[in-house]
Amino acid sequence: MSKPHYDREHHAKIASGIGDPQCFRGKAGEAKFKEGERVRIRDLPDIFYTRTMLYTRGAVGTVTKLVYESPAAEDEAFGNEDHPEWFYSVVFMQKDLWPEYSDTYANDTLETEFPERYLERA
Amino acid sequence: MSDHHDHDHDHGHKPAPMVDEVSHFEILEMAVRELAIEKGLFTAEDHRTWVEYVHTLGPTPAARLVAKAWLDPEYKKLCEADGVEASKAVGVNWVTSPPTQFGTPSDYCNLRVLVDTPTVKHVVVCSLCSCYPRPILGQSPEWYRTPNYRRRLVRWPRQVLTEFGLQLPSEVTIRVADSNQKTRYIVMPGRPEGTEGWTEDQLTEIVTRDCLIGVAVPKPGITTNVKLPVRKAIHPVHHDH
Repeated sequence: MSKPHYDREHHAKIASGIGDPQCFRGKAGEAKFKEGERVRIRDLPDIFYTRTMLYTRGAVGTVTKLVYESPAAEDEAFGNEDHPEWFYSVVFMQKDLWPEYSDTYANDTLETEFPERYLERA
Repeated sequence: MSDHHDHDHDHGHKPAPMVDEVSHFEILEMAVRELAIEKGLFTAEDHRTWVEYVHTLGPTPAARLVAKAWLDPEYKKLCEADGVEASKAVGVNWVTSPPTQFGTPSDYCNLRVLVDTPTVKHVVVCSLCSCYPRPILGQSPEWYRTPNYRRRLVRWPRQVLTEFGLQLPSEVTIRVADSNQKTRYIVMPGRPEGTEGWTEDQLTEIVTRDCLIGVAVPKPGITTNVKLPVRKAIHPVHHDH
C-alpha cells in the first residue's frame, strides 16, 4: 500500500473541503459500461465485508447512470484506497429479483449501486 | 429495597435507564467510541461537537428543496442533475457544513433527488444498515432502521407502503431505491392538487419527512408524519431501583 499504515488522517486529508466521493474523481480510468447497458451482477466471494446484497447477485438489470468513482467498499473497509473504480446505478425489474413478485405489479422496479467489479455484460 | 428513600447518604443507585432497551449495536458503538477516545483518534470534545451538530439537523431543508422545485422548473432540473449543488439553495453544503469539513462520515457528499411522476413512485430504504441523507433530512426515524422495514421494503414494497396508509393503484409503478453505496436519496413527490397559488412556505409545510423518504405523499392540510405503533421491547432493561 502506498500510504504508511499509521496515517489515520489519510482520508480526512484527501477529502477535506472536497468531499467523498468527489475526492476520487478522475481516478478510475475509463468506464467499462455505459448507460442503458444490460449487466449481470457477479457473485464474487467477499471476505468479511461487502455492500453487494445477496438478493442482487446473479440478477440481470440495466445501467441507469454512472454515479461516481470510488474505491469499492470491500477495499475501503480495510483502508485500501489504491484502486478507485466506477460505480453504476442499476435498475432491476422486481420480478427478476423475487420470482414470486405479484404479476399485477409486474412493472415495479428496484434501483441500487455497484462497483464495476461486480458487473458483467449480460 | 424499601419504598422509603433516604437521600442523606449514598446508597449506590444506578440512574434510571433513558431507554427501555439497549441494543448490542448501541453497546458496540459505546465501546468503539470509548476506545477511539482512549487511543486519541478523536477527543471527547470532538464527539460532543459532532453530536450537537447532528441534533441541529432536520427535514426542513429537504422539504424546502421540494417546494422550490415545484415552483421553479429550472431549479427542479438542477435537483435532478446535481442534488449536492441544489442543496446549497436551501442552506445545506454537504462538504463544508458538517464539523468534519469532508462530509458526514458514512453519509458522503452525494445526494440524488428521485423525482416522482404520475406513473412512478419512489421509496427509499437502506437494506444493509440505515444510510440516510442526514445533512438534509436529519436523523432517520426509528422504523427506518429496523430490520423489519429494511428486509421487507425491497421485497414487498406495496404491502409495506399500505401499512403506512399509502395504497397505490397498479398503473403506478414503484421504484425502490436501496441506498447501499455512497449515494443518499430523497424523494421529490408530485405536487398535490389543491395547492394552486400556494407560497413556498405553505408548500414546504406539507412535504413531511415521510414524503421525502417516499412512504407518504403530500396532501394539503397534512403536516405531520405517520404515527406507527410503538412496540414493547422484547428484552427490556431490568432496573433494580
